[in-house]
Amino acid sequence: MILASLKSAIQKTFANKRLILIFYLTNLILGLIVILPLRAIIDEFVGYRLMGAKLADRLDMDFLFELLLHKDSFLDVMRGLILFVPAVYWLFLLFLSGGALAIFAHNEKYSSPIFWGNCGRFFGRFIRLAIWSLPLLAVFFALPLLAKALQRLFFGSDPYQYITYWGRWLQLGLGFVSFLLFGMVLDYARIHTVLTDERNMRTSLWRGFRFAFENFKRTFGFAALLFVIGGSILAIYNPVANLLAAPAVVIVALLFFTQQFYMILRMGLRLTLYAGQIHLYKTGTSN
Amino acid sequence: MIGVQGFRALLVIVLLTLFYQPALSQNIPVLFDPPLSPRMANYNIDVRLEADTRKLFGKQVLIWHNQSSDVITELQFHLYLNAFRNSESTFMKESGGQLRGHYIEKGGWGFSEVKKIAVVYDKDLLHRLRDVHPSEAPELLAQAVEVTEQMQFIQPDDSNVHDQTVFRIPLPRPLPPGEFIALHIDFLAQLPTPPFARTGAKEEYFMIGQWFPKVGVYIDGKWNTHQFHANSEFFADFGVYNVWITVPEKNIVGATGVEVSVTKNGDGTATHFYHAEDVHDFAWTTSPEFVEFKGQTHDTKIRVLMQPDHAQQGRRHVEAAILSIEYFQHFYGDYPFPNLTVVDPRRGAMGSAGMEYPTLITAGTVYGMPERLRLPELVIIHEFGHNYWYHLLASNEFEESWLDEGINTFSEIEIMNDLYGPAGDMIDLLGVKLNTQQFHRARYISGYDRDPTIRRAWEYYSTGSYATNSYSKPGLILITLKNYLGEQAMGEIMRTYFVRWRFKHPKSQDFFDIVNEVAGQDMSWFIEPAFYSNAHIDYTIAASSTREVKSPRGFDFMMNSDEDTTAGGDADSKSSTEAEFESTVTVRRLGDFKMPVEIEVVFANGDTIREHWDGQELWKKYRYRKPARLVYAAVDPDNKILLDINFTNNSKTVKKQRLGVNKLSARLLFWMQFLMEQPEVLNFYSLFRDVL
Repeated sequence: MILASLKSAIQKTFANKRLILIFYLTNLILGLIVILPLRAIIDEFVGYRLMGAKLADRLDMDFLFELLLHKDSFLDVMRGLILFVPAVYWLFLLFLSGGALAIFAHNEKYSSPIFWGNCGRFFGRFIRLAIWSLPLLAVFFALPLLAKALQRLFFGSDPYQYITYWGRWLQLGLGFVSFLLFGMVLDYARIHTVLTDERNMRTSLWRGFRFAFENFKRTFGFAALLFVIGGSILAIYNPVANLLAAPAVVIVALLFFTQQFYMILRMGLRLTLYAGQIHLYKTGTSN
Repeated sequence: MIGVQGFRALLVIVLLTLFYQPALSQNIPVLFDPPLSPRMANYNIDVRLEADTRKLFGKQVLIWHNQSSDVITELQFHLYLNAFRNSESTFMKESGGQLRGHYIEKGGWGFSEVKKIAVVYDKDLLHRLRDVHPSEAPELLAQAVEVTEQMQFIQPDDSNVHDQTVFRIPLPRPLPPGEFIALHIDFLAQLPTPPFARTGAKEEYFMIGQWFPKVGVYIDGKWNTHQFHANSEFFADFGVYNVWITVPEKNIVGATGVEVSVTKNGDGTATHFYHAEDVHDFAWTTSPEFVEFKGQTHDTKIRVLMQPDHAQQGRRHVEAAILSIEYFQHFYGDYPFPNLTVVDPRRGAMGSAGMEYPTLITAGTVYGMPERLRLPELVIIHEFGHNYWYHLLASNEFEESWLDEGINTFSEIEIMNDLYGPAGDMIDLLGVKLNTQQFHRARYISGYDRDPTIRRAWEYYSTGSYATNSYSKPGLILITLKNYLGEQAMGEIMRTYFVRWRFKHPKSQDFFDIVNEVAGQDMSWFIEPAFYSNAHIDYTIAASSTREVKSPRGFDFMMNSDEDTTAGGDADSKSSTEAEFESTVTVRRLGDFKMPVEIEVVFANGDTIREHWDGQELWKKYRYRKPARLVYAAVDPDNKILLDINFTNNSKTVKKQRLGVNKLSARLLFWMQFLMEQPEVLNFYSLFRDVL
């Protein structure tokens, strides 16, 4: 079932490449909103300095410290944008997901009216859904604390550091699981909303929650599979990006394109997740 | 004729000779003959640890030698542990109750109380008392004069009457120059928990420093006995220590000096006897959990006492200790002691990490410390370095903290770079490469202007300023000096300073005298701004330009105009084949610290010119007429002046450096996109929480 969903999801995603482009451009544009002011500051600081040439080779820590300590504006801009822009990005994703889910849910081909129409149609509901899901978010994010509680239960308040060290790995794992679980519930709630045109978001949340946990093996298995695929892509990307270190225009350009290709793959993966979850939901609820 | 007093003294001497002196003195090894130091403050201490209550029950005999030319009328002592008595002490008020992020927990206060002090003057008796176990002393001190009532707490640095970290004892009669005096002191101490400001207890682990009543230093005709401050360490005289430490039998003990014997007492305790010569402090540690690792280099035995959960890093610690000893011996001179003990603090006891005592240092690590995060190595190199800069050369850390911390930072930077450099000698992990020098430079840049380098430790603007001016800035000053004078001259300065001042109390001026002597010139132009002001260096290439030289226009001196003749045309055709360029470079001194500096000017045809500017004026303009365009100019191109607060503005290129800016921007953009899309990766932070 999981593999069938994956196959179907990949097909649907590939059939709607423009969706990938829209999601990717959103990510890129919001990234640029943060980076362009920072780039201007860096350019002013080292644009006509040898340090600028040195940066083409590798990041010099003296430069980094001097940038942070002598250019207050760099940190000011960072502080101003680093939390604000990701929040805006998240809202955009919420907005765009309405359109993407609608296209996948109804086996449509991408068309602007359908996509943007559904983006607008579901956005208000998804915002309400997000607000209603906050208690759930708190519960899931408390999950890593379980590792700490278990540690205290079995090893007391003063355990050896290898206990706390491996406890941290467990916490890390549980942290990822929390992300997956919360994402799953929210996704299935949105899918339910799109498929049934549900207006009561508490109902959607409950239906999403129920579906995710009643079909836990499949829902979690699918989410975990995509998580692993994402991790594998990152594991391939990293050494490739590290190879692209030479201070040459072609190499820097190549690095940029590799980075952006990775981000495009990530967007493809996100949409594959949506499409696959819709497939799972449809088959799960029709039985 | 022998009087009653004399007869009594004689009787005591006879008793001593008959019963005590031979038995103990035979067991005490002689490490250095002749002595290496003046041995002014000599201690015999018997201490028993009551682990459950964190209490120390001590008896000590201090034999103090008046080596000054003054008649001494009082003695002054430190009771360092009283800094942790309550929230009103000078230490706690200055620190706000925390040091390096560590706090004393509720009910975890520490203190030190002197129960009894008695004074003995008799010279012959004193000679024998040196080898006498303190618990046997009272019976022998028949003629001792008790002065407990005369004890008076004083606050030489501030008016905080609640501070009881220094006390004075008026002597019953003055002590002439060259004479000895003995004090028998009974004391009780309680250690703070968890370990705080270097000392204390955590469960079964004890790191015990600044724990006994310690005589101050009589220097320059007066007592130099400062209160315990948050931003300060110590100052003490050299001597011999015989210390009997009684702890639970299962405990492992590490201490300053060499272990002479271990005696099981039959009551579940054991007494460890340690002997140290020519040191000026004594610290010890005990825990039943220590895992021992051993090593050796030359004649020095290394013992590392690791916590069981860090045992897999035991060899790493031994290696770092061996390398530290070998480097310091190679660079500066002989480490005379037969051993070094490295203590790994327990989890939850990091308040005792990263501290130095004679022949005993504390390191600091966590489970899972990556090999390429070289913090344990850095700490061991630094703390061992203090066995040179502070223990062998016993400077006054209260008043001139740079003399130990700053010189030691210089050594630490050099050694880390030599061992693990050139890039990432401190951190070389996940693509981040950070050098020890860069770390110190960052700290310097972040607070270079708040204080002059040298001032009394507790008078700095803040703890951060104390750290900058005691560690980082002087370390960078010395590297800058090395780059100016050359490696050989700097090596000679350091070795001369070490040989001339070991086992003495050097002051800043003593170091500067050697700098002047070796440099063969008066270096006060450098020393004054570097050490006695907050002046900073910032050189920059303020402007640079390059343009093709056109033939002159207008009238020449013969009143011929270029428009009337064909000469202009000829000149133009000439310039097209052999073009000449006029380039200008303007160097500015933005800081108030004047230092000679080099300027590198590079042209498109590969011509490179090195200019030398004395840096006295606020700016200097250089003009060149060359057959090639200017490419760049750089002031201090080799970054020799580490005190320059801004390396980035040291150069100016004619063309814009887009590639580097674009590459960095691309990386930042990617990370921003990545974090927005996958915020769950922030979870990884939890793994590094301990290390950070």
